[in-house]
Amino acid sequence: MVRHVEYVMGMPISLDLRDEEDLASAVTETFTWLHEVDARFSPYKVDSEVSRYGRGLLAAADLSEELDDVLSRCAYYEDISGGAFSTQLPGHDFDPCAVVKGWAVQRAADHLHAAGARRFCLNAGGDVVTSGEPEPGRAWRVGIRHPEQPQAVCAVLASRDGTVATSATYERGAHILDGRTGQPATGLLSVTVVADDLTHADALATATFALGTDGIAWAATQPGVEVLIIDEGRRVHRSPGLTPG
Amino acid sequence: MKKTIFVVALSIAGFIAVWRFEPMGTSVATSAPTVTSAPSASSGADGNTTADGTAESTQFGTVQVRVTFDGSRIRDVALVQEPSSGRGVGALPQLREEALQAQSANIDTVSGATMTSEAYISSLQAALDAKGS
Repeated sequence: MVRHVEYVMGMPISLDLRDEEDLASAVTETFTWLHEVDARFSPYKVDSEVSRYGRGLLAAADLSEELDDVLSRCAYYEDISGGAFSTQLPGHDFDPCAVVKGWAVQRAADHLHAAGARRFCLNAGGDVVTSGEPEPGRAWRVGIRHPEQPQAVCAVLASRDGTVATSATYERGAHILDGRTGQPATGLLSVTVVADDLTHADALATATFALGTDGIAWAATQPGVEVLIIDEGRRVHRSPGLTPG
Repeated sequence: MKKTIFVVALSIAGFIAVWRFEPMGTSVATSAPTVTSAPSASSGADGNTTADGTAESTQFGTVQVRVTFDGSRIRDVALVQEPSSGRGVGALPQLREEALQAQSANIDTVSGATMTSEAYISSLQAALDAKGS
């Protein structure tokens, strides 16, 4: 059993590990990986691989396997969202954070699993990967933060082996831009996506938020995911298949 | 006229393929469409020829298209009959709508935008982390 919180990659990352076995070294390695991602992929660190790539200092042949992977995923989400999801906006530095965050945390969870962890919940700034059950016979109960009341939730979802990501601007202001216009995205207060993989959940949540009200119908047609969207009119739009916790 | 019938048959095949498309990746067993009426063609006063395709019975209902020709060129393809239920345009996946409600519930973790340390300190997640399990 381990409870660990660390501020890394610019966000609080909490691990709630329920396995009885000693997995201390796996936990250390997991957070070491997240620190490595921070050093290599932060657009806010001048010497990071991402910053050097953004300034055109890295040739295609010099890209690491990981950055290559991230770039191809960024291109994918840009494509399926019709450009609303964007890593390269005019007047802004290259910023793949919307993919890097989910991707790095999914890899961290995969590492824990490979090391033998089966019952854990990893929460990175509100993006969640769950594995197994916190107690025999029940799923993890994942609350969805109420967009206007920090201490309240507006829904509770049940999750065993799954991921839940939420994009919203209630905390940091209008920081999600609609790549189609270059302007802050409007129309939605909060977008939650449930998927098998956190990279996908997180990127889809960001893309849906960037699409604004267009994102409601768009998200509904995305295969293999479930969504819970709250619009500016305080209406909740949710997939029929979402599992209440 | 032979060419016309051939084109109409192709159009029907295309429409049926559209109805059979399952966006969620679930597969369904489909039986071969059965023809319930013969194709027909008529010439209008404007010189266009209109041809109705055969009405095809699919598992989603009956599908029939009408093709309008200007000489040998297709001017328009329209649905004469379409399934009343199943994979029509109205059957795209839809979200349910409900009112936003606040609740306090017994939870293990919180999904939400919690990036800054200031927001974290006063967050439900921090309370859960502090409480332990």
